[in-house]
Amino acid sequence: MIRIWQIAYKNLLRKKVRSILTITGIAMSAWVLVSLLGFNKGYENALNRDIDSMGYQVLVAAKGCPYEAATLMLKGGTGLRYMDESIARDIQRYSEVKVITPMVMQAVFDPNKGESGGISAYLGVDPKTFPGMKGYFQFQQGKWFTDPNAAEAVMGYEAAELEQREVGDKILIPEKNVELAVVGVLKRTGTQDDGTIFVPFRTVQRVFGVAGKLTAIGVQVDKNARIADVEQKMYDLPDVQVVSLAQVKQTIISLVATARVMVFSIAVIAVLIAMVGVVNTILMSVFERFQEIGILKSMGALPGDVFRLIWIETFILCLLGGIAGNALALGLVRVTDILIRRLLPYSPTGSLVMIDLPLASIAMAAIIGVGLLSGLYPAWKAARIRPIESIRSQEA
Amino acid sequence: MNDTGIAIIAEHISKIYRRGSDKITALDGVSLRIRRGDFVAFVGPSGSGKTTLLNILGCLDNPTDGALSVGGTDVFGEGTRLGEKELTKIRRQHFGYIFQNFYLLPTLTVRENVTVPFSFYRKDNAVTDIPALLASLGIERRMNHLPGQLSGGEMQRVAIARALVNRPEILLADEPTGNLDSKRSRDIGEVLGSLNRDQGITIIMVTHNPELAALAGRQIDLRDGRI
Amino acid sequence: MKKIIIFVIMLIFSAPRLYAAVGCDLNDPDRDVKRLFPGSTGFKTIYVSIDRKGGQPMLQRIEKRLGDSFHGLYETIDVPYTLYEIYRGKEKIGYIHGVNQKGQYGGIQVFLSLDLKGVIRSLYFQKLTNREAALLRSPAFGIQFTGLTLGSFNGYDVKTGTATQGPVAAIRNPAAGAEQDFRATLRAVKKNLILMDEFVFGSR
Repeated sequence: MIRIWQIAYKNLLRKKVRSILTITGIAMSAWVLVSLLGFNKGYENALNRDIDSMGYQVLVAAKGCPYEAATLMLKGGTGLRYMDESIARDIQRYSEVKVITPMVMQAVFDPNKGESGGISAYLGVDPKTFPGMKGYFQFQQGKWFTDPNAAEAVMGYEAAELEQREVGDKILIPEKNVELAVVGVLKRTGTQDDGTIFVPFRTVQRVFGVAGKLTAIGVQVDKNARIADVEQKMYDLPDVQVVSLAQVKQTIISLVATARVMVFSIAVIAVLIAMVGVVNTILMSVFERFQEIGILKSMGALPGDVFRLIWIETFILCLLGGIAGNALALGLVRVTDILIRRLLPYSPTGSLVMIDLPLASIAMAAIIGVGLLSGLYPAWKAARIRPIESIRSQEA
Repeated sequence: MNDTGIAIIAEHISKIYRRGSDKITALDGVSLRIRRGDFVAFVGPSGSGKTTLLNILGCLDNPTDGALSVGGTDVFGEGTRLGEKELTKIRRQHFGYIFQNFYLLPTLTVRENVTVPFSFYRKDNAVTDIPALLASLGIERRMNHLPGQLSGGEMQRVAIARALVNRPEILLADEPTGNLDSKRSRDIGEVLGSLNRDQGITIIMVTHNPELAALAGRQIDLRDGRI
Repeated sequence: MKKIIIFVIMLIFSAPRLYAAVGCDLNDPDRDVKRLFPGSTGFKTIYVSIDRKGGQPMLQRIEKRLGDSFHGLYETIDVPYTLYEIYRGKEKIGYIHGVNQKGQYGGIQVFLSLDLKGVIRSLYFQKLTNREAALLRSPAFGIQFTGLTLGSFNGYDVKTGTATQGPVAAIRNPAAGAEQDFRATLRAVKKNLILMDEFVFGSR
């Protein structure tokens, strides 16, 4: 015995191309919707992950000091500002501070990089505190240096790859004519650490002649303390700027807000267009089957039965479209990622788009909900067809 | 009115269509009674009102005036005007319909087409053995074919099977052989005749085909909306 | 529609390259190509890897021809090689191709510009870290490679760094303190020429 949904399903097979086009339309809009919802969720996660991966919540830098490696590169290593190591000791004394890690960044001009030379940068870190903050680091080879004065280096994966370095190899700091032994190569982290060469900070201070100086201090605040309190105290320190990563995050999020609004308008428009497509398809098929629907009524179909039949057709279209759209969204996460990155002023590393089951279900429910809503009119129209009208139109 | 021998009573049925300011009288005070087990054929020229009368008797259309009772239930009359839902219930209870153009659903197999009415309702005494029903109409081997693979005569047999699955008391046939050649028309006529004779189904038929009309026990000639 | 589909597919299949082994690209192709090929008007960038082009059998063949096996974390079968086809107008006039080579203090990137027959026109170190890098980068050293072909390296053993015969035997190390990088350079040039032969010229 045939059931009403089978009739509906087989009706859709009648105009395969049209059904497929409609489903494609729905799938596209579902794709956009799911991807954008996924972006909404993933972006903040990625940003948090990026910021957590710093290992500290507050960065103290010398006033006017570029604290981003990128800025350093652009400035060609010049214009570095230093603060005295004593500041680190002052900060360490705050009761709210759990642990601090001193950093000293240095860059040199390397005439043998490219045709006109390039910059090589080194990050001096404290072997006692820095590895603890970067607990998620994994080593491809080797391990951390332990002596803050050692002539050793740990390389981020990409830095090591570019220099073809493995544990036991040497690197040469140009200009300074100093050799360092590579003791560790990190696995990829997906952050800017991948391109960094880590060196014990005393070594950097010695080699570059900046003993007792630091470029930045990473501060990890005690879990129970309020970050804002610590920040407030540190503002009183002379000649330093305090960058709270929460602040950085807020700034980035507000920058991205505009892009988000844009992206959501696109999603809404896409869904609306798909729904107009659904209304059109179903309405057309109702008009085409005008007589047939009348005949169904002569066979005993109540208006409610006809309504259900047409509604089920809409439902099937939306269901298939929604599933296909979700599949597309999942399959093309990387593509979406790339496209969105182009739109944004700042993109964290790692995946920006996060699609999980609850999110896919919400999108699915939205698509089907809106779809059924747009199926209301055609279904109502079909339910109102009277058998006699269709038979008359047969005679005419 | 509750005479169990009478299937349909129609009294002074008239039907007037309005097209703009014109009034077209399709039926002009027709009265007739159809008994259970009758085989009635409406004959007459085009535009004589045969189909309109059939549709009104089959509760597919409302008369402009007059009274109609089906199987003892008042359908139309003074103060009685049933809504679409009630009409559907009466149609479900009493009627099976076949049409000139068959109206099979092209994407469903013969078997599926025949059982479409079940997706809406199923009478207690409905046919359970579909293959046997199809066999009785000589189309059992076509059971899993699609309508597009059938001849016109076979399609009309499928339509008849579909009309019969809920065991109607009355079968309404509007030009059932209008799209068939004479050989196939005769076959369909025989099918209808045997349904009437062997199963006692009341048949009301509209036809242009005198040979088919001759099979009916009673011919009603319509002219200009009158008997 | 077809174009869009192709675009999307390309994106999908090119994306994983982000995480594959690192290749050897010119830092500033527009500028570098003009410098290495004066008179050229354009170039096409092609990516090839042993993995995709010939797989394990090709790798074994290349190692045999090189007289040394691929080793280390970075000299692998899936390294993407960037091949620049150089044009003057519509006419192809040569190639530029670079390889990464492990050096004493860092990665060495050795680019060769070749004519259509595979003859070296010039040699360019994009990257070379050594105290005596300037000597190896000097024109006097580079010019010795001009006119050489893969055949010139037949007698050169990359493992021992000795040449029994031919023009390569005549190339002297200008930097006494950089023997390791001198040998690395010759290995890189030979490997570069073998790869070009496998990918493009196919003399085998």
